[in-house]
Amino acid sequence: MIILGYIFIGIGAFFYFLGGLGILRMPDVYNRLQAGTKATTLGSFSVILGVGFVNMDYLPKALLIIAFIALTNPVGSSVLARAAYLIGIKPTAKTKVDECKGGDEI
Amino acid sequence: MRRFLSALIVLGLIMFFISTLPLIPEFGKASLSKVSRAFIDKDVNGNGGNIQYGVSKDLENGAANVVTSIVVDYRSFDTLGEVTVLFTSALGVGIILSGYKRKKFGREPNFILRVSVGILLPLILLFGAYVFIHGHLTPGGGFPGGTIIAAGILLLYLSNEEFDLSKTVKFVEGISGSLYVIVGLLGLAVSGVFLINFLPTGVVGNLFSSGIVPIIYILIGFKVGAELSGIVAELHREG
Repeated sequence: MIILGYIFIGIGAFFYFLGGLGILRMPDVYNRLQAGTKATTLGSFSVILGVGFVNMDYLPKALLIIAFIALTNPVGSSVLARAAYLIGIKPTAKTKVDECKGGDEI
Repeated sequence: MRRFLSALIVLGLIMFFISTLPLIPEFGKASLSKVSRAFIDKDVNGNGGNIQYGVSKDLENGAANVVTSIVVDYRSFDTLGEVTVLFTSALGVGIILSGYKRKKFGREPNFILRVSVGILLPLILLFGAYVFIHGHLTPGGGFPGGTIIAAGILLLYLSNEEFDLSKTVKFVEGISGSLYVIVGLLGLAVSGVFLINFLPTGVVGNLFSSGIVPIIYILIGFKVGAELSGIVAELHREG
């Protein structure tokens, strides 16, 4: 179980690294937000779950923390992305589809 | 010229601090006051035997959280000053931003945000209340608990354009602040010392223990929550 926990922590660290790389390399704010959010969500899930496996006493608390991250993190990112879109930050030129264009439904 | 002046000021400050260094006594050779001597001589395990969590009763303070017992009991008067500092800063923010009208975006806030605030807000408020009610048992207390509650109020402000809490905030703030002073005055009336812990301290680790510490921390929680919510409201109005 402890080895499984360490494997989970390693996966989480890898996703954190990918998130940092994505924030550095992605072309515009939306892609960066997506990279950062995915990294924090999946990376934090893995690391916290790994800590829960390494020390089984923490497992219920770890699951609770995961639930709260699942509730808050995507909402925060979606609100940030919406605010960025509303003040008129343009997506990068490679973006082909913009479903929000012209509509008020965001 | 300006750079030269600022360098001169910094140099003067450094000289001042270096010149005051010899006034600090050597390690272990300080001349202690009566109070410091009394607390240093006190055994860590208590004057009469070991202190056990959930067993020992009627201790001098009775709070399981050491930080809380110092902040709200031994130097409670200082904490009253801290709360006043926070009140003054909230007042300053209010005065600076008083001219602005609240900006309306004229657009329904995000659907995802509104729905998730409905789920999250009760949890956040509950957690904040837990943190300051259990301030004498677990890490935390009135200041962090109040901050968590203010974060929940910020969510309400973000998700609802019409939401306004300024009158309630002022009411709660005034009531809790004056109740703090009234608890202190009750100590003065009962034992002759302002803010003394005059209630029975109970068993270490119980929710109802350590006298006036939880009462004061609940009051501080309400006061800090109200003040920070007020600051959030003012900053939101500035938009």
